[in-house]
Amino acid sequence: MSEETTLGTIQVSPRAIASIAARAVLTSYGVVGMAPATVRDGIAEILNLENVYRGVDVQVVDGQVVIDLYVVVEYGTRISVVAHNMMESVKFAVEQALAMRVAEVNVHVQGVRVSDDD
Amino acid sequence: MSQGGDRELIGGQALYNALKAGSVWLQSHVAEVNALNVFPVPDGDTGTNMSLTLRAALDEVGSPQGLSVSEVGRRISHGALMGARGNSGVILSQILRGFARALDDKQAVTEQDVALGLTAASETAYKGVMKPVEGTILTVMREAAEAAQGAISVGGDVCAVLTAALSEAKASLLRTPELLPVLKEAGVVDAGGQGLVRVLEGILSYVRGDAVVADAEAKPAVETGHGHADAAEEEYGFDVQFIIHSPAKSVDLLREDLSVMGDSLLVVGDEQAVKVHIHSEHPGPILEYGIQQGTLSTIILENMQVQYREFVGTDHSDEGASGQIDVRYPVDRIRASLSGASPLADVSVVAVASGPGLAQVFSSLGAEAVVAGGQTMNPSTQDLVSAIESVANDSVLILPNNGNIILTAQQASEITSRQVRVVPTRTMPQGIAALLGFNYQAGLEENYEAMLESSQQVETLEVTQAVRSVQVNGLAVDEGQFIGLLNDDLRAAGDTPLAVVKALLGEMDMDEYEIISVYYGSGVTQEEASSLCEALGDVYPNLEYELLDGGQPHYHYIISAE
Repeated sequence: MSEETTLGTIQVSPRAIASIAARAVLTSYGVVGMAPATVRDGIAEILNLENVYRGVDVQVVDGQVVIDLYVVVEYGTRISVVAHNMMESVKFAVEQALAMRVAEVNVHVQGVRVSDDD
Repeated sequence: MSQGGDRELIGGQALYNALKAGSVWLQSHVAEVNALNVFPVPDGDTGTNMSLTLRAALDEVGSPQGLSVSEVGRRISHGALMGARGNSGVILSQILRGFARALDDKQAVTEQDVALGLTAASETAYKGVMKPVEGTILTVMREAAEAAQGAISVGGDVCAVLTAALSEAKASLLRTPELLPVLKEAGVVDAGGQGLVRVLEGILSYVRGDAVVADAEAKPAVETGHGHADAAEEEYGFDVQFIIHSPAKSVDLLREDLSVMGDSLLVVGDEQAVKVHIHSEHPGPILEYGIQQGTLSTIILENMQVQYREFVGTDHSDEGASGQIDVRYPVDRIRASLSGASPLADVSVVAVASGPGLAQVFSSLGAEAVVAGGQTMNPSTQDLVSAIESVANDSVLILPNNGNIILTAQQASEITSRQVRVVPTRTMPQGIAALLGFNYQAGLEENYEAMLESSQQVETLEVTQAVRSVQVNGLAVDEGQFIGLLNDDLRAAGDTPLAVVKALLGEMDMDEYEIISVYYGSGVTQEEASSLCEALGDVYPNLEYELLDGGQPHYHYIISAE
């Protein structure tokens, strides 16, 4: 995504957008982990905090941002509400930070984490 | 609560009663909690959401008589999970779930179990998010649980445990602005935390044996210096707004002083400039006070009763040639209540609605002006222009909510000198969905895009009667039969409204939807609508149903699926 100014060009890489989106997801209630966008062997591997951005897939289409989130949700929460909240948080964070229009935020629930004491 | 021997045992009935007391007390403070909401949190109705979640949890218990405390806990946990609304509702459901788990398989529990339960509640809540944010309900819950444990270690009983928990919860709540900068900026404490405090207060009252009565004159547990956010009372008096430059006092002191002078107080700013908004029947002293504090500018003073009367209107001069009278429904103009459309938004919304119930819905969602649709849903261009020019902002979004009105709205937008964008909503549920997508902090274009998108997320079903026999879309319809439209397209016909609705729903992939909102029209009684909803519930038990009195003419039912 690039913007021309009188002094030069501003380019924001998809990886940067992913990091901003990932940060918003970290504080989103109900999300307990991010899984990589490609799930190998059908097992959702929970990414550690450094690598959360890998659970975010960013596409820029016609100057609009489309974000896909691959998350693991806590068992016992109302997933639809958690997903909705996440979508709004991510959209807000990216739009505020980058002044770019977010066309879509898609949530893919890759897994549900059941806590040990359940 | 049975007082057996040395220890008090809390059984299923007692647990239920205690939480019920908490729920009643929270419910009577919903407006107060909603008023504390601070952007950019997406959950705008913390109070409402927490209250509904807790009520859903209690409803799930059914009759608590004879149930063990752990069974009551299990049901509450399940009910909260299913009924969780909004972000704060989900967190509350986690709190309840954690507490319930600590009850194990016991018949009744002691004060120690209660303290352990509070700790478990806190831990489960924290586990639900990767990066917990301090200064929210999580902090309040954790610190309350810690105090409860402290009370146990000095040998307290249930009452002492809960008293300690509540007292620490209140103190923790007061500290939340120190932990979360957005709270400090807005001069409020955390909404979720306040909700939790109210629940704990109700519970403690029950345990102490005090009656919990829904308190109509609810005062905030924590004096943050702002008044009621009860918009329904604010039809009268004056709407007063101004900016104080180089104020003599700090924002907090100004807020304290002004809090006794009126309602819906909003004071935000810094050492350079402070914006004040307040409702009062006596604007004079307030303005005098402002003048004493610094230089005033951008003074807005409006008589809310005049606005209200003008809107209710004795103006029948726009009777059309057909002799139709456009009756404006008495609608509360919600001027800057803390939970509704704020004066700090730069964009106003005008919506068209038919039916007083629907008009109320739009108004309560933040539409600054609602224009009545009339018998055939056709306000004149002039009606729309008047509405556009009546709102506070120069940037306006219109929700026509009917295919026939979109063109009229376009015309109106060309006539007025204000900046207008028409969101092409064809039905009222689309308009409602669009309005839910409104962002108070965004500008005209952004909101237009957002609302357009939101409006497309909902499916609209409409049920009415055919006025003549017709063949359309491969359907043969007889005059007088009920017909169903899916997003304005005639798709079903039948002898009863229920048959038509079922047919329409049958055409949709119901797995994609969660909430069905049913607005019943002026020709339908609440009983009829209620039984329609029940019948639908039998066919689709996994959906949530909302029944609302739309009061619209012409359409027996307007239903949205999202």
